[in-house]
Amino acid sequence: MTDREVATDGGAVAESGEPASASGGSALSRLRERDDFVVVASAAALIVFPFLLVDVLGIVGDVIGLSIGGYTGLPSLVLIYGIIVIGFNLLLGYTGLLSFGHAAFFGSAAYSAALFSQVVPSPLLMVVVGTLVATLLAWPIGFVSIRRSGVYFAVLTLTFGQALYFYALGPGSWLTNGDNGFSNIEADGLFLGALPFDAPLTPLPFLDSYTVMYGFAAVSMLVAVWVGNRIINSPYGLIFEALGENEERVEFVGLNVFRYKLMAFVISAVFAGVGGALFVIHEQYIHPTTGLYWIQSGDFVIMTVLGGTGGLVGPVFGAFVFEYVANVVSGVSLPAIGSIGSLWRFVLGAVFVTIVWVFPRGIYGAGEDLVAMLTDRSGGEGGGDTAAADGGERE
Amino acid sequence: MARDTTALSRRDVLKTSGAAGVAGLAGLAGCTGGGGGGDSEYPALGNYPVEGDEVVFGFNVPQSGSYSQEGADELRGYNLAKEHLNNGGGWVDSWEDLSGDGVLGKTVASVEGDTATDPDTARQSATRMINRDNAIMITGGSSSATAIAMQKLCQEEKVQFMACLTHSNDTTGPECVRYSFREMFNAYMTGQALAPVLAEEYGEDLNFYQLYADYSWGQTQQDSMNQFFTEVGGWSQIESVPTPLGTSDYSSYLSDVPRDETDVLVLNHYGLDAANSLPQAIEAGLDQDMEIVVPLYNRLMAEAAAGSIDGIFGTADWSWQLEDSASQSFTEAFRSEYDKVPSYAARLAYTQALQYAAACERAETFYPPEVIRALEGYEYDNAGLGAETMRACDHQAQRDVLVVRGLPSSDQTESRLLEVVNQTSRDQLGYGCNEGPAAECELGEYGDE
Repeated sequence: MTDREVATDGGAVAESGEPASASGGSALSRLRERDDFVVVASAAALIVFPFLLVDVLGIVGDVIGLSIGGYTGLPSLVLIYGIIVIGFNLLLGYTGLLSFGHAAFFGSAAYSAALFSQVVPSPLLMVVVGTLVATLLAWPIGFVSIRRSGVYFAVLTLTFGQALYFYALGPGSWLTNGDNGFSNIEADGLFLGALPFDAPLTPLPFLDSYTVMYGFAAVSMLVAVWVGNRIINSPYGLIFEALGENEERVEFVGLNVFRYKLMAFVISAVFAGVGGALFVIHEQYIHPTTGLYWIQSGDFVIMTVLGGTGGLVGPVFGAFVFEYVANVVSGVSLPAIGSIGSLWRFVLGAVFVTIVWVFPRGIYGAGEDLVAMLTDRSGGEGGGDTAAADGGERE
Repeated sequence: MARDTTALSRRDVLKTSGAAGVAGLAGLAGCTGGGGGGDSEYPALGNYPVEGDEVVFGFNVPQSGSYSQEGADELRGYNLAKEHLNNGGGWVDSWEDLSGDGVLGKTVASVEGDTATDPDTARQSATRMINRDNAIMITGGSSSATAIAMQKLCQEEKVQFMACLTHSNDTTGPECVRYSFREMFNAYMTGQALAPVLAEEYGEDLNFYQLYADYSWGQTQQDSMNQFFTEVGGWSQIESVPTPLGTSDYSSYLSDVPRDETDVLVLNHYGLDAANSLPQAIEAGLDQDMEIVVPLYNRLMAEAAAGSIDGIFGTADWSWQLEDSASQSFTEAFRSEYDKVPSYAARLAYTQALQYAAACERAETFYPPEVIRALEGYEYDNAGLGAETMRACDHQAQRDVLVVRGLPSSDQTESRLLEVVNQTSRDQLGYGCNEGPAAECELGEYGDE
């Protein structure tokens, strides 16, 4: 199923790529207006991402004597969280609903995908099943929670999430293996394990950070970006945005606000479900704390705000910074100060405060401003092109 | 902490497991001495072979979260082990397998990570050590959930895991793996060690009531306490009540304890949980009506509840107060380095790092299956607890367990809060390979089958 979508998506990439480059001298803004621009730019960024994160940063780290390089597995993890926060942002950034219970969809998808893998060890079907479970769960939770707004909505979603967490940890441990974590996941690769997930995607030795898992995650990411892009550019998506701006006016126009909000909630849960299933395929392990605890929901909020709620792919940058600080910076030892270790939370907090304070629109918003500034100044085509490249690969 | 740049990454090694790769590595291995250039005999597996003149150990401990204080002491133990392995000192001078000149001719380097007492963070951190830093061995854990999460990962990646502080039966029970070894005892052995001492101290035919932290360790702990109190002392359980992990106010649970019927209250809490529940139980006056038992002591809890531990029984892995030469030399080395006495978490860390290094020396290679075989069934008596065996069937050390009792406030000093009541011999503890937790253990593959 995913493969087919990819094919169409690939086509879209090729089609939109050519006119964009053919028009050459036309203003950057026109390119950016195009619906598919974000998909093309994402594809380009995904192609270079692991190389920059693992190899280039690794070399830089060796030169300056700090272990700041990424590791194989980190790029896929960033993409998986990226998919989730793209969906989360449809709810938070566009519709203006702050959910504190999205771990429920992430975790339940992860667990159901993990359990399903014991029946049919197919990663693609695991994603389908996980997403389906998350969707079915989002319906009743959304139905109840959306009747309240603001902090009450947040607390209601939080309550449902925590209920699932305590169930998975205690009474449900016959199913989830409780606190010992669930690790009997039977999907090691695509095509019945013929293509193992940790095998390299290419035979080229310098591209060994491009694993099959990364390819799988990257394709899923492109699909997610494409779908997200279609949603926000559709009339339906416009209503989401209008809801975020002024709910009463939408109601006065005669639209059923409740239904649109519920739909936004369910759609964001679908993204969380895809992410949850991918996560369990990637990690081959899931634990209630990772999957369902409220801190995971909070992490989604932080990633989204950090990256920027204004654009579709903004939160992905937040996911990147979050995971990079949590998993790489935490292992860095500074020459004079010593190991950063537990201080990584301070580092993340400092980054968060700085970003929110200096760039209220998040990392992506800041990047956009920078691009706009550069294009305004140079005005020419050359300047526009480099700026686009900068924007795409900033992080 | 700077490490040498190995141009060849782990993934490359996996790919070039052919003759060419091995031949090329033979040159590197030749000069490392070992035993006749043994390294070239084996194919690439996990992070084997070790490139360059350094071998990397990954110290993955909780530096944040509720067990961070323990993690800091583990890290002290690990760094002391690294120092001794490279330059001699401490047990390295007395263990005949170790030279004090690195391991198999290679200098020991290390990378550190924060598990945050969270299983997934622990796995991410271990993944980084394995994939980026080419760690040949990962060690750490201060909660059974993180230890189990890491050892599962290590089994998949074919990288050795040396479990540090993990007391749940499941670590070497249903969740056991071939690539992990545990020096610490478990909840089952706590029950075996504690029950006879308490039966003698408090009498027989008593009623006991349990509270337990509702997660992996707490569940197995209360289960084992129930089993042995019932079997050994003929006691009967009134009820066993789960409390959520991380509870700060236990008063509602404590007020439910029936004061008239209960003779002994067992608080199956650890670390911060116990530091909360025990003083609250004392404050509620429960110690007037019944005896209180805390099955597993740690320093954090003893310090935090120092005013409440007078006469309270529990078990501990080890104590710096032991008088054998190994314990004393470790305590001395630790004290001269850090100016404080080691907790048992530090001894576990130190022992596990040295134990792995010694196994590599015996196996004359870092090739994981051979190192594992060098540890399986290994008998030793140089880790401060008398004779021990690293059992082959479940990778659980068969060893003595200390029964300790809290000292009254007047007798306490900063480093001495507990007294050792009994060092229960391993002959009175443990269980066969087909009983207890071991019955559910299937270790899995060596990786060279």
